[in-house]
Amino acid sequence: MLGKGGKRKFDEHEDGLEGKVVSPTDGPSKVSYTLQRQTIFNISLMKLYNHRPLTEPSLQKTVLINNMLRRIQEELKQEGSLRPVFVTASQPADPLGDNFREAQPAFSHLASQPLLPADLVSTTPLESCLTPASLLEDDTFCTSPTVQQHDGLTKPPPPALQPVKDSFSSALDEIEELCPAPTSAEAVTAPAATGDSKDPPSEPNVQKAEVLSESRRDESKLMDPLPSNFEITTSTGFLTDLTLDDILFADIDTSMYDFDPCTSAAGAASKMAPVSADELLKTLAPYSSQPVTPSQPFKMDLTELDHIMEVLVGS
Amino acid sequence: FLGAGGGNDIQWCFSQVKGAVDDDVAEADIISTVEFNHSGELLATGDKGGRVVIFQQEQENKTQSHSRGEYNVYSTFQSHEPEFDYLKSLEIEEKINKIRWLPQKNAAQFLLSTNDKTIKLWKISERDKRPEGYNLKEEDGRYRDPTTVTTLRVPVFRPMDLMVEASPRRIFANAHTYHINSISINSDYETYLSADDLRINLWHLEITDRSFNIVDIKPANMEELTEVITAAEFHPNSCNTFVYSSSKGTIRLCDMRASALCDRHSKLFEEPEDPSNRSFFSEIISSISDVKFSHSGRYMMTRDYLSVKIWDLNMENRPVETYQVHEYLRSKLCSLYENDCIFDKFECCWNGSDRQAIFNRTVTFFLPPLCSIVMTGSYNNFFRMFDRNTKRDITLEASRENNKPRTVLKPRKVCASGKRKKDEISVDSLDFNKKILHTAWHPKENIIAVATTNNLYIFQDKMN
Repeated sequence: MLGKGGKRKFDEHEDGLEGKVVSPTDGPSKVSYTLQRQTIFNISLMKLYNHRPLTEPSLQKTVLINNMLRRIQEELKQEGSLRPVFVTASQPADPLGDNFREAQPAFSHLASQPLLPADLVSTTPLESCLTPASLLEDDTFCTSPTVQQHDGLTKPPPPALQPVKDSFSSALDEIEELCPAPTSAEAVTAPAATGDSKDPPSEPNVQKAEVLSESRRDESKLMDPLPSNFEITTSTGFLTDLTLDDILFADIDTSMYDFDPCTSAAGAASKMAPVSADELLKTLAPYSSQPVTPSQPFKMDLTELDHIMEVLVGS
Repeated sequence: FLGAGGGNDIQWCFSQVKGAVDDDVAEADIISTVEFNHSGELLATGDKGGRVVIFQQEQENKTQSHSRGEYNVYSTFQSHEPEFDYLKSLEIEEKINKIRWLPQKNAAQFLLSTNDKTIKLWKISERDKRPEGYNLKEEDGRYRDPTTVTTLRVPVFRPMDLMVEASPRRIFANAHTYHINSISINSDYETYLSADDLRINLWHLEITDRSFNIVDIKPANMEELTEVITAAEFHPNSCNTFVYSSSKGTIRLCDMRASALCDRHSKLFEEPEDPSNRSFFSEIISSISDVKFSHSGRYMMTRDYLSVKIWDLNMENRPVETYQVHEYLRSKLCSLYENDCIFDKFECCWNGSDRQAIFNRTVTFFLPPLCSIVMTGSYNNFFRMFDRNTKRDITLEASRENNKPRTVLKPRKVCASGKRKKDEISVDSLDFNKKILHTAWHPKENIIAVATTNNLYIFQDKMN
């Protein structure tokens, strides 16, 4: 018995974070869109670096995930053309290097102006090449002192911030639904890595700060070229997630190490160990659990220092 | 008298199920490919453990006109073994990716089976007689003392229990750097193609030490790689024509007469993206997981994550028909991306029956026209069929529960949103670990083979 096959209509009230793209120019849904993009970006990174198979990973899967990351990166670049740009020491003058020539700007309709290389090269001096506060615009929960320092340099935050909270928290809830705890009985559950990427929050506000801090740091990650992970390499260009400010002003706790990485800055670059998901989580953890100030010393583990070395040596 | 209701609606009934009963699935038992041979008498499956199991249909029982022959195990053999690539320090999986039968030319059957790297031609032959009465040997093989031989006799063949032997006749190795996803035998029955992520090679069935590269999409700089080959197939009638699909949702038709390296396509089939459906996952869900020509070669069918599309080879800019397999998943793409289900490769198949009246004693029944129905799998052990003529579709379930032989399968329905009706299943309670990736339709009869994770279901239509 064949049933009449009617076309199912997509329920427009069931939007949230899935399905259709939300235009990033809308007020509250822009945050939702940004969060969705960030979530997908994190998931994609996890997939690329978490995979330790005995057999060769699927090239098709790797290519598709890579394309996803490129697209998000491209989109952020285009959005970034309206704002002061964050540049790391390792960044070549022309960010539109070979890596991006083939990238498909799938969301090019969102760019308000054509992207020019000149726009992306910052002319501001190195000391002020910090996380632009404009990226922090939509963030009402960040308690980092660094935000206040740059108020004068950046665009004022958008006026409609209060109404954002409500849809924001609901968007956040939707993210949480996307990444249920591994003990969930549902068949569609996130892998454990994603579930663990947030420390168990004691209260919602702390969690929101975590997500946003991650979001800020991750956006700084996005400016780096994509690793060539089609051949089996250990390139970890994505993971230089420390700002220069942190490097220059933070006290480095070297008590844990046999060697002092600072003295070998000019010398051999430390060998990059293949990054596992745990290491990735550890690098994210310091930023998610406490706000960072330049004057506040913090512990870094060996992997983070390796990342810094990569940046400084410019590999 | 005519068949049920005069209409062409097929009523599917459970016939058989093969495989382990327990819920604990052994990895090696996961079925990775299913294929009927050209007559439909044989049904081959390949699994993750590198084994091939061939089932044979019982010859029609003259007294039992109400059911077609059952499929029983005919031959089982280990086709591929796991290997180790010392250069890359990686294992090469023995999982059988594809099986393709050759048309039968003599008493033996031949099939090609492939894993990620190596294709093998297997000969399956029957032995039901053996020679007896040798002059110099005893029956058990020991040599007789020549002095005891006083008379000569001619050895004769005597019947023995049927023995089915599978032997590898050709091994086509070392031609693929990347993972083989497709093999397709040419209509000349002498050559075949094998496709991996970046290259397609042409082989002669007799020659194993040489193959010709006919498509190469590997970029000079691997960092520029954004697209891979996902499937390839020869045209059923035109021995110089083949198609290959990509991870970006395109299909390219190539003519081997145009040049030695078919990097320039003759036709490019691509549907423009629907802007209202655009999302982060648009590219991934457009990736084509299977491509199959229709019997005539006029049409081809492609499967992407959410739909089945029928293309007219004369029209490149859009498909002529699109069927939504599980549109309710569109709002779940982020979760499906997270748990990797979005990368599942579903296959699709045409019905193979020719429109004919089959007379079987007192029963007459019609079969639907060739390539008028398409079938593909989904999650929760559901599979779907679309009738191109009536535009009706049906969802059925492959499950050991509620499946008695000759009981018509109950159609299933997934409730996308809102109030769930009785007997409907909500999207959130679908089991995404129960996926039907491989299905096959008998070339001549209304018999289908549906593979769940580790079981093979055989369904037949209800014969009155």
